[in-house]
Amino acid sequence: MATTRQEKGKTGDIVFNLINYTVFTIFTIACIYPFYYLFINTISENSLVQRGLITFIPRGIHLTNYVALAEVNELGTSFLVTVARTVIGTGLMVVVSAFAGYLVTRREMQHRTFWYRFLIITMYFNAGLIPWYLTMSMLGLTNNFLGYIIPTIVAPFNVILVKTYVESIPVELEESAFIDGAGYLKVFRYIIWPLSKPILATIAVFGAVGHWNSFMDSLILMQGAPHLQTVQHRLFNYLNQNTNLEAIMGRSGIVQDMLNTKVIKYTISMVTIIPILMVYPYMQKYFERGIMLGAVKG
Amino acid sequence: MDVYGPRNIITRFFEHCVKILVFLSAVMMFFPTMNPARVTELINRTISLFTSAVSYSRLTAEAVRAIRLGWVMENNFTFILLASMVICLAIFGALLGAGLSTGNLRLKRLAYKLTLGGGVGQILGLLGIYFVYLRLWESANLERVLPQISSGFGVYLAIASATVFLSLAVLALTPKAAADMPYEMERSKQLVLMYLPFAALVFVFSYLPLWGWRYAFFDYRPGVTALTAENFVGLKWFAFLFQNPATLNDIVRVMRNTLIMSTLGLATSWLPMVFAMFLVEAKSARFKRFVQTFTTIPNFISWVLVYGLALAIFSTDGFVNSLLLNLGLRTQPINYLMGDSFIWLKMWAWGTWKGLGWSAIIYIATISSIDPTLYESATVDGAGRFQKMRYITLPSLMPTYFVLLIMAVAAFLSNGMEQYLVFENSTNTAKITVLDLYVYQLGIKNGVIPLSTLIGMVKSLVSLVLLFSVNRLSKMVRGESIF
Repeated sequence: MATTRQEKGKTGDIVFNLINYTVFTIFTIACIYPFYYLFINTISENSLVQRGLITFIPRGIHLTNYVALAEVNELGTSFLVTVARTVIGTGLMVVVSAFAGYLVTRREMQHRTFWYRFLIITMYFNAGLIPWYLTMSMLGLTNNFLGYIIPTIVAPFNVILVKTYVESIPVELEESAFIDGAGYLKVFRYIIWPLSKPILATIAVFGAVGHWNSFMDSLILMQGAPHLQTVQHRLFNYLNQNTNLEAIMGRSGIVQDMLNTKVIKYTISMVTIIPILMVYPYMQKYFERGIMLGAVKG
Repeated sequence: MDVYGPRNIITRFFEHCVKILVFLSAVMMFFPTMNPARVTELINRTISLFTSAVSYSRLTAEAVRAIRLGWVMENNFTFILLASMVICLAIFGALLGAGLSTGNLRLKRLAYKLTLGGGVGQILGLLGIYFVYLRLWESANLERVLPQISSGFGVYLAIASATVFLSLAVLALTPKAAADMPYEMERSKQLVLMYLPFAALVFVFSYLPLWGWRYAFFDYRPGVTALTAENFVGLKWFAFLFQNPATLNDIVRVMRNTLIMSTLGLATSWLPMVFAMFLVEAKSARFKRFVQTFTTIPNFISWVLVYGLALAIFSTDGFVNSLLLNLGLRTQPINYLMGDSFIWLKMWAWGTWKGLGWSAIIYIATISSIDPTLYESATVDGAGRFQKMRYITLPSLMPTYFVLLIMAVAAFLSNGMEQYLVFENSTNTAKITVLDLYVYQLGIKNGVIPLSTLIGMVKSLVSLVLLFSVNRLSKMVRGESIF
C-alpha cells in the first residue's frame, strides 16, 4: 500500500516537473528569441536576410551594417543627447533623492509630515498631460535640453526608497556625529551617503534605464527641435518611415547592399538594445532589490 | 531687550513684508502677463520672465524675420536675455535671504543684506531693460517693433524698490551682531530650508500644472485666442462633450477600449503570482536563475523597441511569415500588425510578455521568506505539493497581491499610452486608442487644448475617487490599505 502510494507520487512528480519545466522553457524562449532573431539578422549576409532565410542560425557573418550606421549623423546626435541626459539626469536625481530622502527622516524637521505628504501625493495625483505640457511650454522647457533634466530631478518614489533605507541605519551613528559638532550636510556626506550606497546604486540603475528608454517626453517636448530627439524617438521615426530611411542611407553614402530597410531597422533597433543588454547582467541584483524595496509602503 | 516693544513689532512687520515681496517676485517670474522684459510686440505674450532668461530661442521666436530684415538690432535681444538673467539671479539671491532670515541675529542681518542686494540687482536688471526700450526707439521699423513698457515692469520696479527700502529699514532697526557671534539657525528650520528647493521643484512640475485646468473653461485656441474674460465659456466644453455626436462617439469608443484593456489586465493580475508559485517548484536552482534572468529582460526595454521586435517577428517580412513561406505552408504573407482583429488580446499579450517575469520577482522573494518549517510540518502531516501551495504559499502571497490589486484598480483609467501609441496605425486606431492616447492625440497632435484638458481633468479626479474608495473598501474587507 505504502509503496504504491509512493510510486504514484513519483509518477505524479515526473509529470508535474515535465510540464512545469516545459512551460517555463517555452516562455523563456519566447522572451529571448526575438532579441536573438534581431541580432542574427543584423550580422548575416544581407541578401539572405532579405529573402527571409535567416531564422535560427546566422550565415555569412559580417559587421558592415553596424559600421555603416556609424555614418548616420542624425543617429550620432541622438546618441549624444541620450547619453548626456542619462548621465546628467541620473547623477542629479541620485544626489537629490539621497539628500531629500535623508532630510525627511529627521524627526525634528518643522512640519515634517506636511512636507513629506506634499511630495508623496504627486505619485497618486497629477493634473494630466496637457496642463503639464502647457506648464513646460510656459517655462521655456520645450525644445530645450533642460526639459529632459529639470522635471526628473525630484522623483518621489526614489525619495521614499532612500527614506526607508536611511531609517534602517542605526540613528546612534548620526547622533554621535552631531555631538561632535557636525551639521546635517557633514553627516549626510560622511555617514548617510556612504552607508546608503546599495540603495543609491539601485535608484541610479533604474534612473539610467528610464532615461535611456525615454520616448514620450522627447515626442511631446521636442517637436520643434529634431536635433534634441532621444534615440528611442529617432528609432520610432525610422521604424515608421520607409522612404526616409533610404534617403538617409543614400545621403551618407552607404553601400548598395545596405539599401534594405528591413536590415537598417533591425540594426538600429539592435544598437539601442545593446547598451541595456550589456549592463543588464551586472545590474540584475540592483533591479531585483529595487522591486523588493518598492513593495514597502510609502 | 523688550521683544514686544513697538520697535520690535515694526521690525517684525517689515521683515514679513520683505519676505512676502520676495515670494511675490519669485512667483511672478513664471507668469507671462507679468513679464517686465516684454519691451516690444516682437516678444511673444506667452513667455514669462524666467523663460526670457533661459531660452533665447523662445525669446526671439517671433523676431527672427524682423532681425533678418534689419527692422531691429539683434543685440537688443541679447541684452534683454542678460537683463532678465540678472533679475532672475537677483530674485534667487533674495529668496535665499528670505530663507536664511529664520536664523539668529547674525544670520538675520546677512539675510536682509541678501534681500537688499536682490532688490538692488532687480532694479539694475530693470534699468537694463529700460535701456533696451530706449534703444528700440531707434529701430528701423517702429510700426512692427512697437517699443512698449509692460505692466509687469512697473509692478517689478515697485516690488524691488519696496524690498530695498524695507530691507534697509530692517537692517537699521536691528542691532548689529557681535563679530564673534556664530551663524546659527534652529535645526528644525535648517531642515526645512534645505528641503525647500526640492519642494519648489515639486511645486512647479506637479502642482503648478493644476493651474492649467483653467484652460478647460475657456474658448482657447493656441495662437488665435487667449485666456481673456470674453473667451470664458464656463462649462461649455462639458456640454460639448455630450452634445457633439462626433465627440461623444469618440469618447464612448475610447472608454470602451480603456475599460476592456484594464479589465483584461485585472482579470489576469494573478498570473505573476502563479508564475512565481510554479517557478519555485522547479528543483534546479540554475534553471530558476535562468528563467528569472531572461524573463525580466523585456521589462527593461522601451515600448518602441518592443514594437521593433514585433516588426521583426510579425510583419510581412518578419520571422513568422518567412518561416511559413519558406516551409511552403503559406503562399501569401500576412502582416499581423495591421488590422484590428484580436487587437485587445494582442495588446494584452505584449504587456504580459513584457511584464510577467518582472512582476513575478516580488512574489518569488516573498515565497523565499516563508518559514520552511511550515512546509516541513505540512509534509509530515502528509500534505502533497498542491495542498502546500494552496494552504501555505498562496495565503502568504495574498497581502502583496491585494496591495498591488488596489494600485491596479486605482489606475483603472490609466493604461499608459506608450504601448498603444507605438502599435497604433490607421487600420487599428478605432480599437487601440485608449484614454491616455486620445488625450495626447487631441491635445498635442491636434491642438484642441480645452477639450483635452477637460478630459484629462475628469480622468484625474475620477482616478483619485477610485483610489480612495478602493483603499477604503480594502481597509473594511481585509484590514489592509496602502495609506
